[in-house]
Amino acid sequence: MNAERVAVVGIGQTKYASVRGDVSLPGLLREAAYRALEDARLTMDDIDAIVVGKAPDFFEGIMMPETYLAEALGAVGKPLFRVHTAGSVGGSTAIVAASHVESGVHERVLTIGWQQQSVSEAMWALSFPIPFQQQLVAGAGGYFAPFIREYIRRSGAPDDIGILVALKDRLNALKNPYAHLHEPEITYDSIKESFMLWEPIRYSETCPSSDGAIAMVLAGEQAAEASAAASGVRPAWVHGTAMRSEPATASGRDQVSPRAGIDCAADVYSQAGIVDPVAEIDMVEMYVPFSWYEPMWLENLGFAPEGEGWKMTEQGRTALDGDLPVNCSGGVLSTNPIGASGMIRFGEAAMQVRGQAGDHQIDGVETALGHAYGGAAQFFAMWVVGSEKP
Amino acid sequence: MAESPDAGEILRAPLTIGYDFQRTTGPVIGAFFTALAERRMLGIRDTGGRVVCPPVEYDPESGEPLTDMVEVGTEGTVRSWSWVSRVREGQPLATPHALALIQLDGADTSMLHVIDAADPSEVSTGARVRVRWAPESVDGFGNLVCFELAEGKG
Repeated sequence: MNAERVAVVGIGQTKYASVRGDVSLPGLLREAAYRALEDARLTMDDIDAIVVGKAPDFFEGIMMPETYLAEALGAVGKPLFRVHTAGSVGGSTAIVAASHVESGVHERVLTIGWQQQSVSEAMWALSFPIPFQQQLVAGAGGYFAPFIREYIRRSGAPDDIGILVALKDRLNALKNPYAHLHEPEITYDSIKESFMLWEPIRYSETCPSSDGAIAMVLAGEQAAEASAAASGVRPAWVHGTAMRSEPATASGRDQVSPRAGIDCAADVYSQAGIVDPVAEIDMVEMYVPFSWYEPMWLENLGFAPEGEGWKMTEQGRTALDGDLPVNCSGGVLSTNPIGASGMIRFGEAAMQVRGQAGDHQIDGVETALGHAYGGAAQFFAMWVVGSEKP
Repeated sequence: MAESPDAGEILRAPLTIGYDFQRTTGPVIGAFFTALAERRMLGIRDTGGRVVCPPVEYDPESGEPLTDMVEVGTEGTVRSWSWVSRVREGQPLATPHALALIQLDGADTSMLHVIDAADPSEVSTGARVRVRWAPESVDGFGNLVCFELAEGKG
């Protein structure tokens, strides 16, 4: 494929919180969008197209919000697209935006992911009775808990790996000023003593409900170099993008390590020329809404052999000072505006490559992976970004 | 191969969904709702100098943030309309009524609302209308019940 080169040249995030009652929905999106434009040293006039993504309309009760956001997003006279892929939507939205630049159709594309979880109770929005929708009876946590149990049974992992993940991510969040949860008092024991929500998932091993938005500016090669010259911050070049889907309930489907995730990772590594991911990738932002998904995805993404992902967590290899830091931002466990969460993973990976991550910056990140999943662990979106032109 | 069941034999199961939402209004829509509760109508001046009512937070053309709130009249002029002769459940009024684009005095744009009129012969493009407020103040748009015909020609 003779694609144009594309890079992230601007990233903007809102402060995430359980309620952002100070702004309207358009105001929330503008906060992220204008920070991204400022980061790229561009104005809305420089943008050729806008690609937005969020969780299903029912979560906020606004049907097709993109229609009334056009003026706030500066989309008058420009193409405006909406992407839908459940919880992975933030990742797939960024990939759709990148593809508009790769195709040569547009030079600079603004992409935004958001959610206002405060306007409703997303867990119950997912909880219609069977058989009228996917069997999500008790929300996402109740759905995923049995697959986590199965992971523990298969791998023989110690009971407290989930606690270690939650502790790491919540402490990482203290270094990220945008993170929703800042819990300086959190300890191993306080997580262990928090109530069991969906056994084996405790309350403190679960993502919060957040309001917030993230935006990125994606640019073609010349535009990226011009932005970088103006801002003095290097672009994060997109080395590969991949998406995969699979059915939710097909018999024989392995929901502990879905085939779609394995294939998606193999595709994105191949595009980026990565043969040994744990050696060649410097950090990962992966979608971990419930603590145990860190070891599960470490295996699904090929960073550890099957059944051994938990050892990387236990040995501290995924900590900020480990050899494969995971979720330096605090991750979904510390901030979860659903429709934005995947794009935050993609954006945080790009921030690490650009050296913009502040107190949670890892030294010398040249290659980073952003990962998102959604639905019944059936939609996957990933990108690899790097400091060198692909 | 089994025969397909007769459509009359296929069960239909009810699915009733009740679900509540809240909105964050921000500085502009929030001010508009506050004024409605005080029985006042607000618009906002856009970057071209036009008064947009109901107000918008960002300029419809340039996307710039707007802040210049302007009080407009509680009377206005019908710019176009449609007559609802057969009223069904869930419509704004229980009696036949007009859905109309109404330009309030002092505003440069029209808003879609309802006119309570006895007969379509009373409604015309250019007709004058005034706000009918709820007898007791309620939050938000509920305070503006509908419009009714007023004297004069716009």
